Amino acid sequence: MEQLIEGVSYVFFAIGVLFWLWGTAPLLGDRSILFKLHSLSVSDTLGSMSIMIGLLLRIPREWPLLVLALISLAIWNTTLGYVLAFCSRRKPL
Amino acid sequence: MEETVLLVIVLLLPLTASLVVTQVNPYHALVMRGVLGTIAALIYALFGAADVALTEALVGTMLSITLYAIAVRSSLSMRLGVLEGSPVLDASTLAARQLLQRIRQGLQPQHMRLELAAYANAELLLAALRDREVHSILLEPGDETADYRLVTRVPRLQTLLAQQTLVCEVMAP
Amino acid sequence: MNLLLFLLTLTLCLPLYAAWLKEDIWKTMLAFASLATKTSILILVVSVLRDDWMIGIVGVLMLSVGNAALMLLAHVIKRLEML
Repeated sequence: MEQLIEGVSYVFFAIGVLFWLWGTAPLLGDRSILFKLHSLSVSDTLGSMSIMIGLLLRIPREWPLLVLALISLAIWNTTLGYVLAFCSRRKPL
Repeated sequence: MEETVLLVIVLLLPLTASLVVTQVNPYHALVMRGVLGTIAALIYALFGAADVALTEALVGTMLSITLYAIAVRSSLSMRLGVLEGSPVLDASTLAARQLLQRIRQGLQPQHMRLELAAYANAELLLAALRDREVHSILLEPGDETADYRLVTRVPRLQTLLAQQTLVCEVMAP
Repeated sequence: MNLLLFLLTLTLCLPLYAAWLKEDIWKTMLAFASLATKTSILILVVSVLRDDWMIGIVGVLMLSVGNAALMLLAHVIKRLEML
């Protein structure tokens, strides 16, 4: 059972790292700012949440801390995505 | 293996520090200072100094860059005094628009902003320039053919604006 | 687990390189936002690895309050472009 849980947590880590790499790679490209923002906010939030779930499976006794991190990640990262998109709109002088 | 990762992360610190130093634009430098603060907090946490990491993250990154952004924003600007009801205030005429555009282009290389301040009449405008409330004032043209007159009290602003072929008189102190 | 740490550090370098390219200020801001999230997750992973909850709390606090400064800075820079 323990080995199964460890294997599942490794799967979550792999998903998280893949999400991170997939979302951060467009940052180096030559795309528009909103495209980069979209892929970054999606992949950062989902990838980080996946890594956190993997950590939660490993150490369930510290769940309040990790669940707090999960919730704040979900709320603040999406809010930050909206704020950055709102602020980076070009306005005429 | 963990030592190697730690070494790579620690090497990122001087790298970001040199990035902060080499920035030309003050706002880019501020954002890079934030990046430096996050990397520093990461390193402190990895070495086990949780209190130092928390202070660096909250004060060094959050508070200091916000305060610095406001300070840089309010100090890197040229205050231009104009008369109330002047077309420069809402850029309604072509001449006013072109003048504003040229002043902004002159200030751009120094990352400065243009800030307009309205005064009720010409005496108040001159008094504001004398009392150092504004850096320069804009006097309305007397008739149709004449141009706007720029008067400043800062010689450096005259040299900056002269690069955009804007004639600017320096008021004697 | 060590491979995970290595991969996380590798992805940490990507936004840093993007910030180094210094084009638009908003792209630098994006890189900063991404870096802030990534460092706190890295701190959390290390805290689980070492079973040290003092660093874990630092990671959680950076996650929950660190984005506020970014939002403030974004608004200041936006006001700058409007004037």
